[in-house]
This record gives sequence, C-alpha cells and structure tokens, in this order.
Amino acid sequence: MTAPSPIVRLEQVHLALTSAAGLVPILKGVDLTLDAGEAVGLVGPSGSGKSTLMMVVAGLERASSGKVVVADTELTPLDEDRLAAFRRQHVGIVFQSFHLIPTMTALENVAVPLELAGRSDALSEARRMLDAVGLGARVAHYPGQLSGGEQQRVALARAFVARPRLLLADEPTGNLDRATGDAVIELLFALNADSGTTLMLITHDPVIAARCGRTLRMQDGRIEDGRVATVNGAGQ
Amino acid sequence: MLSLRLARRELKGGLGGFRVLLACLALGVATIAAAGSLDAALHRSLTENARALLGGDAAVVLAYRQPSTDEIAFLGQSGAMANTVEMRAMASVTPAARTLVELKAVDNAYPLYGAVTLDPPQDLAKALAQSDGAWGAAADPDLIAKLGIHLGDTIHLGNATFAVRAAITREPDKVSQVFALGPRLMIDLRALPATGLDQPGSLIHRSTLIRLKDGMSVASFRAAAHQRFPDAGWQIRDAADAAPGLQRFMSDITMFLALVGLATLLVGGIGVADAVRAFVEGRLNTIATLKCLGASRRLILGTYAWQVAAVSLIGIVTGLIVGAVLPWVAIAIWGASFPIDVTPGLYAWPLLRAALFGALTAVAFALWPLARAAEVPAAMLFRDIVAPASARIRPWIAAIIALAGIALAALAIIGAADIRLAIGFVIGAMIALVVFACAGRLVMRLARNVARRVGAGRAALPLRIALSSLHRPGAPTTGVILSLGLGLTVLVSIALVEANLSHEIDERLPATAPTFFFIDIPAGQGEGFEKAVTQAGGTVIRRAPMVRGRISKIGIVAADKAKIAPDAQWAAKGDRGLTTAATQPSDARVVAGSWWPADYNGPPLVSLDANIAKGFGLGVGDTITVNVLGREIEARIANLREIDWSNLSMNFTFVMTPNALAGAPYSDIASVAAPPGDELKVERAVEAVSPSASAIRVKEALGEIKTIMAGAGIAIRVAAAVTLLAGALVLAGAIAAGRQRRMRETVIFKVLGARRVDLLAALAIEYLLLGLSAAVVAAALGSGAARELVITLLKTKWAFLPGPVTITALGAVAAVLILGLALTARTLAARAARELRHE
Repeated sequence: MTAPSPIVRLEQVHLALTSAAGLVPILKGVDLTLDAGEAVGLVGPSGSGKSTLMMVVAGLERASSGKVVVADTELTPLDEDRLAAFRRQHVGIVFQSFHLIPTMTALENVAVPLELAGRSDALSEARRMLDAVGLGARVAHYPGQLSGGEQQRVALARAFVARPRLLLADEPTGNLDRATGDAVIELLFALNADSGTTLMLITHDPVIAARCGRTLRMQDGRIEDGRVATVNGAGQ
Repeated sequence: MLSLRLARRELKGGLGGFRVLLACLALGVATIAAAGSLDAALHRSLTENARALLGGDAAVVLAYRQPSTDEIAFLGQSGAMANTVEMRAMASVTPAARTLVELKAVDNAYPLYGAVTLDPPQDLAKALAQSDGAWGAAADPDLIAKLGIHLGDTIHLGNATFAVRAAITREPDKVSQVFALGPRLMIDLRALPATGLDQPGSLIHRSTLIRLKDGMSVASFRAAAHQRFPDAGWQIRDAADAAPGLQRFMSDITMFLALVGLATLLVGGIGVADAVRAFVEGRLNTIATLKCLGASRRLILGTYAWQVAAVSLIGIVTGLIVGAVLPWVAIAIWGASFPIDVTPGLYAWPLLRAALFGALTAVAFALWPLARAAEVPAAMLFRDIVAPASARIRPWIAAIIALAGIALAALAIIGAADIRLAIGFVIGAMIALVVFACAGRLVMRLARNVARRVGAGRAALPLRIALSSLHRPGAPTTGVILSLGLGLTVLVSIALVEANLSHEIDERLPATAPTFFFIDIPAGQGEGFEKAVTQAGGTVIRRAPMVRGRISKIGIVAADKAKIAPDAQWAAKGDRGLTTAATQPSDARVVAGSWWPADYNGPPLVSLDANIAKGFGLGVGDTITVNVLGREIEARIANLREIDWSNLSMNFTFVMTPNALAGAPYSDIASVAAPPGDELKVERAVEAVSPSASAIRVKEALGEIKTIMAGAGIAIRVAAAVTLLAGALVLAGAIAAGRQRRMRETVIFKVLGARRVDLLAALAIEYLLLGLSAAVVAAALGSGAARELVITLLKTKWAFLPGPVTITALGAVAAVLILGLALTARTLAARAARELRHE
C-alpha cells in the first residue's frame, strides 16, 4: 500500500508584513504537510498566524521565504493572475464573515467559481449545489435577504461547487449561534466526506477541531509540532 | 463575456453610487454640446443668410469716388445692381435735438436679397421717395425715440429736410456693417446731393451690390473686374465674408462658452474620479471575494470598467440631450436680441465632439481608481490590510490614461476657433490642476501639523475633529479643493476680466478719452473749426487730415497673398485712415527708425504702428504700398511707433510724409475735450462753422459697447457658474461618500459625551477651511488668468481689483459652508443607540 501523496507541502515558510513600525514577522519557519483527503484542524490563540498560514496555502499571501507547494504547484514563482487561476482550479474557501457578493443572488454567488472556470453549465450546477445544502427554494434571494446560517450555507455551496481538491475554512461558525453553527459544521463535514476534498479548518472550538483527522496548534508564527496531531484526541 | 455578465448583475442594484459621476459628465457634456450647437446654428444662419447679409452675391465697395460710366456699364452687364452710400452724419430736429446717425442712402433696386421691413408696413422706395415736396426717410425706432419725434415729422440732415415716414424694423444687410456708432437713418440716394454731406474727402462707403447673372460665379466676376479695371481700387466682397465682425464676435462668445464647458468637464472629471473611487471602495469586499474565487485582475478591471462605461454612457447621452435642447431654449428666450434670425437645429459634429470629450474624460479620470481597484489584494478579507494597497498601476493603464489626456487636449485645441486661446486654456488647466493638487496636499499636511499643536480641552475639540477630518487617510480634501478651486478660478477670472473692462469704460477711459471725435470736417475749414471749439469752451486735442486708402502690397507681395499674423489681419482688410505729419506728433513714441525732417520732399515715407509692422513681417527700410483713390503709393518705412490704442486718443496706423498724399481729397478728423455741461455748446459751435462735420460722442459710444458687453456678460457668467456647480457636485459627492463614516464617528463622539454643538462646530470649521483653501488659491490663479486675458487677448490695461475677487471668493466660501452643513447636518441627528444596534 502506497502512502497518499501530500497535497500541501510547506518547507521553512517565513512571512513578514510591513507596518508603519517596520517589518512584522508573522510566520517564522513553518513546515507542514497535508495529505490528500485528510481533514486538519488548525488551532491557536489570536495573532498566532493561523489565518496568514491559510492565506499562504491559498496563494493569497506570498511567503517571504521558504517553499510552498499545493496541488503539485509551486506557488512562490506564480504571479497574481496565475495564482488566481490556481485557486480557481484547486481551492475553495469558506470565510467567517461569509463574504457573499451582496449584489448577486444566492444562485449567482454559487455560480461564480464555475463561470470563472468557463463552465457553460454554471447555473444548473449551482442550482444543484444549492439543493444539496437545502437552499433550493432560496436561489433568487440576495444575501441581505438570507439569515446568517443560510448565508454560510450558500458560502459552502460556493466553496464546493467547483469540486476543489483543497477546502480552506476560516472559523466558518464564528459569526453564527451554536445551533446554526453546528448545522453548518455538519454540512461542511458531510460535503467534505462526499467530495473527498482535503480540508484545512481554522477554529477556536476544540469540539470542532476534534472532528478533524488531525489538529495542528499554532503559536507565535510556528506550528508547535507539525507531526504531533490527533485523531479523535489520540497521538499519532 | 463574463465581465459583462458580472457587471450587469452588479448594476441591477441601481445607479445610486454613480449619481455624482452621472451628473458631472452630463453637466460638462451638456455645456460643450450646447456651446457647439449654438455656434453651429449661428454659423448656419450666417451662411444661409449670407447673400441677404451682404446685400448681393457680391458688393463692390469704393471709398470717395463714384464708379465711372465704364465701370457702371461693366457692373450692369454682370447682373442686377443696387447702389448704396453709407456715412456718418448728424441728424437734428432742433439745434438742441441733434444726434449722430449711420446714414444709408439707397436706390430703388435696393435690397437685392431679403427685404427691408417698415412700420407701418409699406414699400421702401415709396417711403423714401419725394412727395409733397419733401424726401422721405425711414429711421431706426431708437432714433425716433431719441429725437422725440413722431412719424411724419421732419428732420434735418445737412442742408436738406426729410419727412420720417416709417420705422425700420428689419434691414437685411445691417450686420455686415462695421460697429454702429448711431442709429440707422435711410434715405433715397437721389436725395443725398441735397444734403451737401457728400464732400470731397468725406468718409463715405459707396457700394454697388450685384446679383450676378445665372451661371456667373463670384470668382469669375471678381477676376473679370480686376482684369478689366486693374486700377479701380475697389474692394469686392462676397457672401463668404458677409459679416466678418459679427462672425468673429459670435465665434468669440461660443468659443468662450466651449472653454467654460471644458473647464466644467475638467472639474467634473475630478468628480468622476472621486465617484469611481468611492464606488470601488464600497466594493472592496466583493472584489477581494471574487479574487479569492479565482478572478483575475483583468476580469475585475473589466467588470467595473463595464459598469463605469455604462453609467458614463448614460451621463453622456443625458448631457447630449440637454446640450442639444438648450440652444432651442436660448434662442426661444433671447433670439430676439440676436443681430440675425437664428434657427436652432440638430448638428452632428458638435454633439459628437461633446460626446468624445465626455468619453475621454471618463477614461482619463475613471481608469486610475478602477485600475487600483483591480490591485486590491484578496488577503484583505482575512485581516485589516497592514500595508496599504499599492498606488502603482500597470504601465499599459498609465499609458491609456496619458493618451486619453493628450487626446482631450488635442480635441480642445483642434476644434477651437482660436487655437492660441485653446492652447493657453490647456496649459492653464494643467498648471491649475498641479497647483490645486499641491495645495490640497499642503492643506492636509498643515492640518496634520496644526492638529498636533492644538491643546486638549473641550473648546479645542471641534478644531481637532475638523483638522483630523481634513488629514485622515483617505480624506477627500485634495479632490474637493481641486474641483472647487478649479470652478472658482474660472469664476474669479471672469469676474476680474469683467471688472477690468467695466473699470476701463466707467472710470479710466472717461478720465483720459476725449469728449468728441469730429469727422468729415471739410478741408479748409480746420482753422474755423478750432476757433469755434475754443470759443465754446472746448479744447482741440488733435486735428489731422485723413484720407482713406487700402493696403495693396506688403513689401513686394500683394496684400491678399501675404502671410500676416492673425492679430494684424484687420489692418490689411478694407480701408484704413491715413494721415500726414511733417513733424513728429507729441504723443508718438518712436521705437525704431527716426522721424523725417519737417521739410522732407523726397520719395514717400511712412511711420507705421510697430505691432502691425511685426504682424506684416516688416521693419524700417521695407516698403508698403497703399491704394488711395486708385493711385498706388509705395512708401518706405521710416520709423515704427508704439501706439496705445486703449486710451482712445486719436491715432493712425499710417502716418505719411505730407508730400505722399498731396492732391488727395481729404477731410479733417479731430479729437476734442469739452468741460462737462458744455458738450452741446461745442457741438452747436461746430455745426455753425462746419455743418457737414459729424460729432461722435465718446461717452455714448462707450455706452453702446457696455450694453453689448452686458448682454454677452450674462451668458458668460451663467456658463461660468456651471463650472462652480460642477465643483459643488464633487463636494456633494465627497460628502455622500463619507456619510457612513461620518455617521459612525458622530455616534462614537456622542457615546463619548460630545455635544451636538461641538460636532456642528467641527463641521463648520472643516468646510470653512476647505472653502477658504480653495478660495485663496483660486483667487491667486484666477487673477493670474484674468491678467493674461486682459493684457494679451483684450489688449487693454490691467488693474488688480480686490473687490470682485473678494466678493466672488467669499461668496464661494459661504456657498461651500452652507452646502456642506446642509448635506452633513443630518448625520448629527444620528441616534447612538439605534446605530450601535445595527453594528
């Protein structure tokens, strides 16, 4: 039996951002490997670099040094438009604040990734995906006409509709009440299981983190131990 | 196309964020389209009525002499003829009721085109004919009112008496005449000898109007006339040049309106940029989200460019519709006061040109903020941006913006009636843009520095809030100062130009100008004239003989072939007054060469106006040839004089040696000063010794000029106010864009215990500082622009008049304050609890 090939490989990734006070180091030598199909929870205190790490993996932030390979693509040399194309093909993202486009209906929001990929069946696929998340009756609604939970379900549909190899979720329940959050997490894991997508999930909730196959803890710009992870709480 | 699809989806939400963009473009395009359409309508009317305006297909003009029998026969063979004689003369009812008139004596064939309409309606020939022993006359209603006469009353003209039988309500070729110094009086040509006004040397224009036979062109007629009578010395005018003075006047006004339109569009451009910036700032999340989903920069740029293009198109089309309709409205309201009947119409080129201006402005001003929007990092969705978005845009976009700017400048220059003025405008606009942009940044920097020094305490709070609003990152200070300042600069410069002209006419000229010019003082009556003036209490400032002649050669080149600078072309057209002087006149300032000896008796020499000589490309030692009564007189330039035409003293472009014009029939022209109250006495004294002399009252002539100026001034001021309106739109746009932020700030201040009065004071200080900053710079720039216009374009004396500048600038500051407070005060009513619940 061969080991699953890694979909994310980070080697000694450093990242510093400019501020008025000078360079602020955010990531300080991160090594990370995610295998295809696994679900990884990323936990750690605020400001530890979780979101930045996710952005580096998504090609939204460029590492100051180190190597970033995602879905067999070395991201460091890619320019912005190539990175956009890379995300289009391989990455889905779910945000804490949903970030639906307010001027588009639920259907149009979900169709956007497919349209960007040049798919002619974008609208019918989007409709199918909205059915799958239980919003078949709300396709013509604008984000402002939907509840928070519904908006996040639309966001999940949008993230999964193009069948990305990697799904990044940044505290997807952070803006939702417990019950709605639980429902969204159920849906997220169900979709993830159905599509075989690799999931990287940032959360402050240990219960949600525990549902992931592995949990990584970030502290002060470093992963405390990339290989020390848990499956249902057990060391690996 | 995906970008188009995405754009359409976003636009479904309405045009709310684009109102200012739409209004700015519509306003600018409407002004340019209206100015262009009006100009086209005026030109079409001039062209369509050219024959009527000239009075024939061609007009053969002779000064002094009657055409010979041979010449009359030749003209008669060319087509139908009508003869007119025009001169200035004094008409009187009683010795006290006496006035200068523009006399026109016509034969029965006049007019060949169009018709003279009279009140009461009657045949012109019949109205002017001799009946019951008296010749008839038709008079301008102004003359009838001025002399206090009724139809049927008699008036005296020289030695003859005329019965005024009708008022002239319309004279087809009136506008082809030079500037009128008095109202029209029309008589029968056969009655002219009886007046005794047709003296040798009198300033008379004799025109033979020709309606050419079918198949004969003006060119072939002109060629035949010159070939058959090469020495006739006549001037042949055709319909293409029917009313050059009017055409120039109209062109100047519409050119000015067009420049104001351009200024409006420029100010509007700032509004476009601000509106697009505000719009995309409101869409940053959407842009970043699209990028997270894999949208490329190009797609983002395309999506928002389509939206801006669609809104710009609506703005441009709205502007075109308004601009096309405005001339109809203007002509319906003011058409009666135009010197010719103008029919409005739809003209493709002015509208296309205005649309091009609008489109180029949209590209030049919207592309930068659009391109910056495309650079928004997707990472902004995950955290507040630590580093600001790069201000740099792609080189190809910068190149497109630069090209659009160059195309705008080129379009402004190429289509302009006065290219020099248009170039001046473009350069001035660029300087103004840079100066105001710098001023905006300076104000922000000053606000920052002062804010640091303002002490703590409740009293200082409003000032600190105001200063921080001016210098905070993303504050619209520069844009608002730029747009308000540009609009105000236009208004200040116009106010100053107008004030300078009024100052010239109301104060400076009356102080230096003579009271009268007397023309047509017959040769030999000069000394008697001087004695009469002196005895009546007046002073003859200068008296000189005058002969009329036309420049026929400049150097060795025929005048109509010579290359002449635009500002000297007037001198080569038509007749010029020539005088002679043995000795250098006391007020003549010789700048090159030297005056001839008093007893000079050699080949003719001439002293020439230095500016004209420059325009002709001539210097001392060169020759110039004038045609006087068919005689070619070649004169060598002995010296050049610098002449100040602006003080209305008596001056001549040409002063020749006395022997050069020996034998030519001349009359004297004199400038006379009379003490206030003694004007009539002087006039009567002159009439007694020299009844055919005509008095031009300078004050009345200046009054005429002022009336014309006042009419044009209204149009100009209204147009200029439009520029400031565009500035106000930009301010309103900036206020609207910052409304949410201001609302939040207000709530926070209130939560912290600020009173409404503190916040109101802060707003007042903010708008006061904005308005004052724009006003101070605009006052300086506007004064500079006005100075250039007054000195180089109007060629008159410049005086800095602080009154109009202060009134205009303070008025604008007050307007900014009121508008700002009116638009923002509502945010002060924001209820903290309600707003916070929505957080």
